[in-house]
Amino acid sequence: MKDSNALVKDNRQVAQDTYLMTLMCELSPFTPGQFLMLRLTSTCEPFLRRPLAILSYNEGAVEILYKVRGEGTSLLAEKKKGEELSVLGPLGKGFSDPRPEEEAVYIAGGTGLPPILAMAERMKRGRLIIGTYTKDDIPLWQRMQNIGGVEITATTEDGSLGIRGVATQALDGLLKTIQQPCVIYACGPTGMLKAAASLAKDLGARCEVSIEERMACGFGVCSACAVRTTTGNQRVCTQGPVFDASSIEWRQ
Amino acid sequence: MDISIRLAPGLCLKNPVLSASGTFAYGEEFARIFDLSLLGGVVTKGLSLHPKEGNPTPRVCETPCGMLNAIGLENIGADAFIAQKLPFLGTFDTEVIVNFFGTGEDEYVQMAQKLDLDGVSAIEMNVSCPNIKKGGIEFGKDPQILNRLVAQVRKSTTKPLIVKLSPMVTHIGEMALAAQEGGADALTCSNTFPAMAIDENTCKPILGNITGGLSGPAIKPIALRIVWEVSRQVTIPVIASGGVTSWRDVVQFLLAGASAVEIGSFSLRDPLCFGAIIQGLIRYMQDKGLESITEIIGSLKSA
Repeated sequence: MKDSNALVKDNRQVAQDTYLMTLMCELSPFTPGQFLMLRLTSTCEPFLRRPLAILSYNEGAVEILYKVRGEGTSLLAEKKKGEELSVLGPLGKGFSDPRPEEEAVYIAGGTGLPPILAMAERMKRGRLIIGTYTKDDIPLWQRMQNIGGVEITATTEDGSLGIRGVATQALDGLLKTIQQPCVIYACGPTGMLKAAASLAKDLGARCEVSIEERMACGFGVCSACAVRTTTGNQRVCTQGPVFDASSIEWRQ
Repeated sequence: MDISIRLAPGLCLKNPVLSASGTFAYGEEFARIFDLSLLGGVVTKGLSLHPKEGNPTPRVCETPCGMLNAIGLENIGADAFIAQKLPFLGTFDTEVIVNFFGTGEDEYVQMAQKLDLDGVSAIEMNVSCPNIKKGGIEFGKDPQILNRLVAQVRKSTTKPLIVKLSPMVTHIGEMALAAQEGGADALTCSNTFPAMAIDENTCKPILGNITGGLSGPAIKPIALRIVWEVSRQVTIPVIASGGVTSWRDVVQFLLAGASAVEIGSFSLRDPLCFGAIIQGLIRYMQDKGLESITEIIGSLKSA
């Protein structure tokens, strides 16, 4: 973990309310699932940094993909080329690699795409399911198609692209067609993660989920981002955000 | 130039900048990004006799110029701290101030006894906890209860005893005197302010615990007033805590009468702030031609 200054190289809209930002900064190598804490201003407003998953990091350029949801992401969307941000990271524990015999199945719901896409682009094999409400919510569709070795399925609740329905329905169908052992990588709303974990359990497949929780520090000191696990509370920021799904005690 | 400050017999800080309890865990994470030896002291997360799980999430919420937290005093318990965390803190050239709390007088006393150990420079007691036996009123809200509690703890330890006062009282000076008369060596002024945030879309409170403690620069002017008020009442040193983000804030708290300053919430945002703040303080003293930090303490001029 390192606190470094980053220069905005590019910041463009890639889907409904969704932006892709490229920042120039020196990071140590990252594992998909790891994140950065971005300090958006030099004043104390907003006060806290924002946790954002790393989409890619190549030769000093880090990509983050984010949806505008509140004050912090609105400020982020206004950043122009040449502006400076402070970047703390890479933070947290990312996804583990699929074992050689395992088929990798990646599933992303809503804003959960960045770490999932990062993992698919890193592994270059397996199947990826992206589920959103409508087709305009899907970012980087062409880029996903271009990952060699990864088969992409989209689900939209309004049926405007791909299969009509939710991502976990497609996951259920897909898992039935796969003969070999599977590992599932999931990021998205809690309901989706819980459903993916349950499907994995039925199959006896490994499942890793990236959990979201409100954070203050992002590096393990404030104890804000607690998640209940079979071994007690764990910190999402340092012991996660990626957890073995079977260790999570899901909230009702 | 001398920026060291003596807070109690056997407790001398090399500089007046401390971490604050609850935002520094047990030091390990910060030690990965800077050398803890640069600090005047480390104040640990609050410990209880037994491990505590804390509150349901969400536990934090950002607010204008600050944040709310309702962590619920989650901690690993005194035994695990002593076995697993204290030896590591001992590897740094800094004072180790262990924050603790209890649910009753017995637990406070037992904690003080347990922490009377080599490697512990001082103990800081959090009195913003409900007294279960007295209908849940906080120990820090009644001068007689506070005085008695501090006196009991004082008898149970050889360590310098710092009492971290609750700000939620009518006359904080009265509480400060009660703690001083009970035998406190120093006072920390003060703690977070009970507060709340509501989501107008879900129509629910944002924090799992409904209410939480407000911290950050939003509370600094109030903390400054409290430090000023308490410093005029007591003869023991006051440690300021509340919204510090810069060396300027540190100087202002020293002028108001504080002998040292804790930095909490801001270090969540800027984990490397401590070194810069100490450097800024040194530059200020150079610019003003000051030889010793004690020249600043309580030197507020009249309006």
